[in-house]
Amino acid sequence: MRTSSFGIARSVLRWSLLATLAVFAVASASDIESKVFEYDLANGLHIIVYVDSSAPVATTSVWYKVGSYDEPLGSTGLSHMLEHMTFKHTSFYKPGQLDVIIDSAGGNNNGFTSTYFTAYYEDFASDRYELAMKIEAARMGTCVFPDSEFESEHQVVSEERRLRENYPAGELWELFGTTAQLVNPERNPTIGWSDDVRHFTVAAVRDWYKRHYNPANAVLVVCGDVHPDDVKAKADKHFGRFKGTPVARRDFYSVEPKQNGERRLTIRKRVRVPSLLIGYQVPGIRDSSWYAGEVAGAIIGGGETSRLHKKLVKELGLATSVWGGAGVSRDPSLFQVGVTPKAESLIPRIEQVVQTELDRAGTELATEREMQQVRNEVLAGQAFRRDNMFGITYWLASSHILFGTWRQVTEYSERINRVTAEQVRDYCAAWLKPDNRTTGILVSAKEAK
Amino acid sequence: MNLPRPSVVTLTSALCLLTSAFGLPLYRHSLPNGLIILTYEEHRLPTATVSLVCRSGAACDPKDKSGTAAMMSDLLTRGTATMSGDSIKSLVEFLGALFSGGAGDDNCAIDVRVLTKDLGTALDLMADAVLHPAFNAKEMELARSRMTTDARGLFDDPGSEVSYEFTKLLYGDHPYGRLSGGDTLSLPLIKREDLVAFHNTHFRPNNCFVVAAGDISHKEFVTEIERRLGTWTPEPVPALTVAPLTMPDRIRVKVITRSDMNQTYVEFGHPGIRAGDEDMLATRLMSYVLGGGAMSSRLGTSVREKGGLAYDVRCWFNRNRLQGGFHATVQTAGPKEAIGLMLRDIKLMYDSGATRKELEKAHNYFTGSFPLTYASTGGKLSQVRTMELYGYGLDWLEEFPDKVRAVSLDEVNRAARDHLRPGKYWMVVLGPVTREELGLTDVEWIN
Repeated sequence: MRTSSFGIARSVLRWSLLATLAVFAVASASDIESKVFEYDLANGLHIIVYVDSSAPVATTSVWYKVGSYDEPLGSTGLSHMLEHMTFKHTSFYKPGQLDVIIDSAGGNNNGFTSTYFTAYYEDFASDRYELAMKIEAARMGTCVFPDSEFESEHQVVSEERRLRENYPAGELWELFGTTAQLVNPERNPTIGWSDDVRHFTVAAVRDWYKRHYNPANAVLVVCGDVHPDDVKAKADKHFGRFKGTPVARRDFYSVEPKQNGERRLTIRKRVRVPSLLIGYQVPGIRDSSWYAGEVAGAIIGGGETSRLHKKLVKELGLATSVWGGAGVSRDPSLFQVGVTPKAESLIPRIEQVVQTELDRAGTELATEREMQQVRNEVLAGQAFRRDNMFGITYWLASSHILFGTWRQVTEYSERINRVTAEQVRDYCAAWLKPDNRTTGILVSAKEAK
Repeated sequence: MNLPRPSVVTLTSALCLLTSAFGLPLYRHSLPNGLIILTYEEHRLPTATVSLVCRSGAACDPKDKSGTAAMMSDLLTRGTATMSGDSIKSLVEFLGALFSGGAGDDNCAIDVRVLTKDLGTALDLMADAVLHPAFNAKEMELARSRMTTDARGLFDDPGSEVSYEFTKLLYGDHPYGRLSGGDTLSLPLIKREDLVAFHNTHFRPNNCFVVAAGDISHKEFVTEIERRLGTWTPEPVPALTVAPLTMPDRIRVKVITRSDMNQTYVEFGHPGIRAGDEDMLATRLMSYVLGGGAMSSRLGTSVREKGGLAYDVRCWFNRNRLQGGFHATVQTAGPKEAIGLMLRDIKLMYDSGATRKELEKAHNYFTGSFPLTYASTGGKLSQVRTMELYGYGLDWLEEFPDKVRAVSLDEVNRAARDHLRPGKYWMVVLGPVTREELGLTDVEWIN
């Protein structure tokens, strides 16, 4: 993310995507279907429009199918560096002008990079959303990257990287990911590894832009008080002039070696509150059992009535908070449990309790009340998610990119509703077992021996 | 605390008001017991968000028991005379709803987000929480444990730590100088009777308001609230009076050297004005020009865009009921250079003010982006809550753009002269740096 208005955690952290998609839900499929319109321009630009005229505002966004997943070793973070540079210099805006243009029109804007995509958006009053189109078209096809503008932005990104390095919990997240996943590029932080960030060159940025920024590798999503035909006409006017070149995305579905025993990671830093992360290799979204993992996550670690919260926080008093659940990943990924222990000395006991609860989930059926609660949460979450235009934008775009269709937003609840207690049990038995586990702990450097 | 209405409300229906802001489905109603109800109707989604807000917050905590208001508010949603905390959470999560309590410096609140079909149940829970809280011993210990972890964890994040240290210097013995969530010394001291006393004293209908947004009908909502909270008894609520903050006479700097870091966190500033001050809008426009964004503001341009010294740099006047502060922050590997540029830019704003072009841009940003802030149901609730809390008036949402445009360049520049105090700062510097390396002269170093 180019600015920190949403906080670092949402800027480049690949895990944020998991949390976001984990609450996908749908109340009324037909209700949403009637509001969504879909087009393709001749050059391959895919367009999704969501009409909501309750307020005279619109969010216009362009999503490129490039992220840290696509970066070769040694160039991690390049998509994010490029994201920063695209705010600098185009045929429409020159250095220092873009924010003036947007502020003067009373809008908000930002960009962010994740594992699977790089996205930009503008919020404007709906009578000026065409300005967003002009900005995004300029970004898509006319960016230039003079050497003179690279160095200061390179330093800005280096400072952004340092923010992560001085936050111990961030270090745990990064190193836990690389311990649990040995090969898949999902293991790399979206902001890039420190040494890679240090060695970025403007030539590499230019090349990355040329390879990935074109209409056939992008999705335009406009949500708000707009007319679908008007969006299409304006999109054609501003984006139609660019040539589309499909970009083949390498698939890393099968690269991760089978895990045959627990892996452990210990980080000792100057912290007062310890942290415990436990992850299990599990199927990604292309496997039909992923939905059972979603239900399992909600039951095991989805709130204060989840099994782990009741056991660790309320019954045994070993922890002050706990969460758990599977992520949204195209490839096999992780089911994670995060715990804030009351004390470092309690960590071994907590690990035992967590595994005991997961073993139980692999042998006993969830109750009908637990299953119904997940369905209810999905239903309510869908409605809440549609409350703001950025929320619905993110939902539609990420569904299109990850699942291949925005209709995942309606299909998700239907698939969740079909999950049985037996499938949840079988999922837990198959995947949430010690030999498939990675454990990471962050403890005090002073107290640790 | 200076409350913007009588602390005791006479029980006569003559005081009942029903007001609608022109053009917006925004209504305000007062019950005979003084409880104010505000609604913003919007029927596009089958959801409702509701907050019951008490106009007393952590600033009213007993002096050595910071965290009292926060713990009390949290526990309101964790058990009543007839429902255990577990039963409440079980019901709420089964509905896929949110139901939580919390406190800031100036207010406490119970917040609800629910599907419309479950609104009646949620209002039952909310009323029961306010009228019959249990403050159960086991739930209290769980809350104390959670809050203690949060208080300790604050020091595991350098951004939080530097902000905490700066706030302590800025506010000193002022109630805002304490952590609203409590600290490791205060939390063990809080007893059940402290929670009961805070609740009895401050959670009174004449000191509270209910605000709702979403798929509701004003008339029906008022009826539903009156049915549940109409018999809630008003009582006089003590006013909180605090002496104004003292301006430092020079730059006073606390350096916390951390050799294991590779970036320095800086926060500095001085006492500011209260949220309701008539200069607040001009001051906000001025501080927006100076440091309202990481890129296009003066600080953003010099420190980030030209200097490449930071990912984020900004300044602002925070809005508190009693007295706010002027804050400037940066995280950088070049603290000497970044601090130097920031001090220079603030002084320049004080000396020369903003330009007409800068003010025009600020006008456009404030007026254009304002509708975005209340486009969502949650945004509507938040804006109406702010409006009521600081007494801006029911027409604020509609009049705000005109009020912004009415602020002249003279007023903005006068705000710079009246409310910026170059060279008179509290400053905290945390990172791999020593006093000598900062290159600051004519400052007082403090420990």
